[in-house]
Amino acid sequence: MSRSILTQSLWDNRRSLTGWIVAATLLAIIYGAFYPQMTPQSVETVPDALRDAFNFSDIGSAAGYLGTAPFGILVPLVVLFYGVATGARAIAGDEENGLLELVLAHPVSRTKLLLQRFGALAVGAVVIALMIFLGMLAIRSSAQLETVSAGQFAAQATAVCLLAVFFGALALGIGAAGGRHGLVFAGTASVGVLSYMLNAFAPQMGATWLQKVSPFYYYIGGEPLKNGFQWGHLGVLAALTVVILGIGLWAFNRRDLG
Amino acid sequence: MEPVIQLEKLTKRYGSRRGIVDLSLEVYPGEVLGYLGPNGAGKSTTIRLLLDMIRPSGGRARVLGLDPRADAVALHRRVGYLAGDFVVHKRQSVRECLSFLSGLRGGVPAARIDELAQRLDLDLSARIKSLSKGNRQKVGLVQAFMHQPELFILDEPTSGLDPLVQQTFLDLVREARAAGQTVLMSSHIMSEVEAVADRVAIIRDGRLVAVSGMAELRSRTALTVQVEIEFTTAPNANRFAVLEGVTDVTVEGCTLRCRAQGSPDALIKLAAEHTVRRIRAVEPDLEDLFLGYYSSEEKARVA
Repeated sequence: MSRSILTQSLWDNRRSLTGWIVAATLLAIIYGAFYPQMTPQSVETVPDALRDAFNFSDIGSAAGYLGTAPFGILVPLVVLFYGVATGARAIAGDEENGLLELVLAHPVSRTKLLLQRFGALAVGAVVIALMIFLGMLAIRSSAQLETVSAGQFAAQATAVCLLAVFFGALALGIGAAGGRHGLVFAGTASVGVLSYMLNAFAPQMGATWLQKVSPFYYYIGGEPLKNGFQWGHLGVLAALTVVILGIGLWAFNRRDLG
Repeated sequence: MEPVIQLEKLTKRYGSRRGIVDLSLEVYPGEVLGYLGPNGAGKSTTIRLLLDMIRPSGGRARVLGLDPRADAVALHRRVGYLAGDFVVHKRQSVRECLSFLSGLRGGVPAARIDELAQRLDLDLSARIKSLSKGNRQKVGLVQAFMHQPELFILDEPTSGLDPLVQQTFLDLVREARAAGQTVLMSSHIMSEVEAVADRVAIIRDGRLVAVSGMAELRSRTALTVQVEIEFTTAPNANRFAVLEGVTDVTVEGCTLRCRAQGSPDALIKLAAEHTVRRIRAVEPDLEDLFLGYYSSEEKARVA
């Protein structure tokens, strides 16, 4: 039984994908498990800036706690880098090491190649989000996180998934348009970190509107752990992903392979 | 007869850099065309244009009656391609890699892959990263030949192969021709293609400088070899210098060096009068040959 480009990409990347899954899930679980150790004193130690950054007045609550370090910083940064690394390799990386030319010399259109590579990236993101979701459900009662419902965890996991997919599409799209591997990786990672900071610190600069430029705002701004699915925000991430892929595809079909 | 490959004033510029210029060439069904030229002449550029890896700046290409860009998928189904820098995923095993690639073509009988691997002495269970350059090239040959395509486009197919495997490769090319398949193969070494090519096209600095049948080309370039003979005693340079077709004679101690053009018969007979300790004949590489051959023509063009 031979594999499609999508399944072969997943298979070829199985080791690194396993690493990303383990890293993201463990961070969420370990931080979640520490919630019962939180005391009113330790809440005080959270810097005001960080509290403001996430607009959490109720940092002592389970949703508030999970919304800071684990789902506000660590998990999103891990999946950001999953997206960047996987997306940069999908086109730019494989173009540089010659693997793209091998596949495209077969009866495979550039459109099909790009979409299947993106599909593999998206499947990886779904698996990461699913494992985080299952992990949180597993520790929910033992870590006294019952105030966050399964639906709210599902909403947060969906946002994690779309954040990874968005930055994956950005890296893949820039590579498709002709960016070199190193440049695509560094560039997209910088955009990711900058947009993270923009979302976190724009309110303190009195520029709340600036937040709305950042993809991270659409990831966490609606506080899915407290408010459940933010369809409007998820829709913005999904729409941006489609637009970026469309532009990447348009450019990819028009250019020379390196 | 409808050509399998038809290039009309095909041009590729990379910014200000030259790729190929006004290249017109036809390859006919069932023939083996050797595409020769020094490294950097534009061989791979031409081949990558045929496969739609890059797009022309001007001119037109038709392959199997199809447009390389608009009909890329349909065309690739009918072509076996070996890239000049063939690479596959290093972590895969050979069998896994070939099964993935054949899957992209809708499947190839496993027996066909086994047969090719056996003939080329390729271990299907090996990991790609554990293979030598030559063995990786064999993987490239198997994937190009396994689906019995109508047209082979092979960029430096023999690079890295040991002489025994090169012979097997040449057999595969002969069988392909006998089966009516068409072969375009590039090389920078004349001797690699002269064994199988029906015609050769020679490219230099992005321009096609000659297209001719093998026999015609042989007579025009009149095989020149660099000969080095070591005697037990010092030879008389003058006696060798007067021989027909022998030029550039130098003697250093007991060693004589010269260039011999055409039949080396007279040279051999004269050398046989002495005790020969060692003899070495080196075919000049194509680059030297054509640099010499076409420099006069170029001078005329510049003037």
